[in-house]
Amino acid sequence: MQHRLTFFINVLVVMLFSLASQAQTGDTEKQTDTLVFKEKYGLRLGGDFGKIARSFIDEDYTGFEINGDYRLTKKLYIAGELGTEERRIASDFIDVTTNGSYFKAGIDYNTYTNWLDMQNMVYTGFRVGVSTFSQTQNQFTIYDINQYWGESFTDLTPREFKGLTAIWTELIIGLKAELFTNLYAGLNIQIKAMISQDQPVRFENLYVPGFNRTFDSGRFGLGFGYTISYLIPIYKKDKKVAVKKEDN
Amino acid sequence: MTLIALFTWSCERDDICAEATPTTPRLIIRFYDINNPEDFKDVRQLEIDGLDDDGNPFDMENPILVRTDTDSINLPLRFQAENEITTTRFRLTKDADFEDDIDDDGNDDLTTASNDDIITIRYTPEFVYVSRACGYKSIFNLDIDDPVTRDPDDIDIWTTSFEIINFTIENENAAQINIFH
Repeated sequence: MQHRLTFFINVLVVMLFSLASQAQTGDTEKQTDTLVFKEKYGLRLGGDFGKIARSFIDEDYTGFEINGDYRLTKKLYIAGELGTEERRIASDFIDVTTNGSYFKAGIDYNTYTNWLDMQNMVYTGFRVGVSTFSQTQNQFTIYDINQYWGESFTDLTPREFKGLTAIWTELIIGLKAELFTNLYAGLNIQIKAMISQDQPVRFENLYVPGFNRTFDSGRFGLGFGYTISYLIPIYKKDKKVAVKKEDN
Repeated sequence: MTLIALFTWSCERDDICAEATPTTPRLIIRFYDINNPEDFKDVRQLEIDGLDDDGNPFDMENPILVRTDTDSINLPLRFQAENEITTTRFRLTKDADFEDDIDDDGNDDLTTASNDDIITIRYTPEFVYVSRACGYKSIFNLDIDDPVTRDPDDIDIWTTSFEIINFTIENENAAQINIFH
C-alpha cells in the first residue's frame, strides 16, 4: 500500500511538472527578423536526490547515483548514470539483501523548443544498463499452510550469491528545468526491459541495482529519478531565431 | 499510462502468495478394495491422528481427520531440516465411532471395536524456491527402502498392503501411496 501511494505521488509530480513547463510556449510569435543567441554547450553533472532522501527515510535502502549529460547537437545529448544501491527485501517468508553498483549509458533527445538561450528539456531517451551485484539471503521460512504440527522451519544460515550481473535497456521520459543559472532540477520515469541476468542457484533476483525490483510476470521494470544537476558550459554556439514582427 | 497501470497491478499481485500457488504439499493416500484392486473403497468412520515422538496423539482435540467415510486422505508431513531422513507417524483408526459404543448395561460394547493401525512415513525433505511472495516450499522424497511401514506389533491390522505410486511428493494433484483394505 505504501509503495502504491509513493507511486501515485511520483506520477502526479511528473504530470504537474510537464504542465508547468509547457506554459512557456506560444509567446514568441508576433515578430519578424532574425535574432542571434548564444547557446551553451557543455557537461551537465548531478546526482539523484530522491535516492539520497530515501536512504535517510527507508532503513532498508541505501542508494547514491551521479548522472551526467553532454550536449552533442541542438537536440541530442549523450547521457549516463553511475550508482550504487543496497536494498533489503523482507517478508514473513523471505529476507534478502541486494548490494551492488550499476552504470547506464545512452542518449537523450530533447523534444522541447526552448525560448531564447534556455536549455530546459522535455526529453525521451534510451539507455543500456549493466549491474554487478550480490544477493544475500539472510533467512527464509518454509511456506506451509498445513499447521497441524504447529511447527515451522526457518533457515537462519545466510547465503551469499556473489558476482551476479545483469544487463537491461531503458526507455526514459523526463524533464529538466533550469531553476537558477546553470542549475537544473529534473524528473524522469524509466521503463526497463531486462535482457539477461545471472540468477542465483535455487533462488532468483528480487532486486537488481539500477534496475529496481523485478516482477514475477516478466522482464519489465520501472524506476523514477529526481535529479539536481549543474551545467559546466564548455563552449557557446550561435542560435538563430527567426522572429516575426507584429503585422500592423 | 496503460503500461504504468499494468505495473501497479502486477506489483500488488506479486507480493501476496496466491492460494492457487502449489506450496508445501501434503501426502495423499487413496484407499482401494483388496478384493477388487481397481476400485476405490471407503474406510468406514476413519479418524486420523498425528503421533508425537512418544507415540501419543499430537493434538487430541483436533485430529487430522474426524470420523468420516472416505477413500482419500491428505497427511501433513513434519520437517525440521533439509536433506535429513525424517519420519512422521499417523494413527489411522477405522470404525472410530465404535469406541463410544455401549451395551445395554452402559458398559463398553465388546462386540464392536475400533481398529487402530499406526503407519510410519519415511522421507527426506527438499526445499524448493517458489516465488518472491511464497518464498520456499518443502517437497518430500520418500525413502526408497522403507517409505511406509506398519507397526510390527499390531496383530489386528486392517491396512493389508501398500503400493507406492510416486516416490516424490511435490504437489497435491495425485496420490503418492495406495492402501488396500
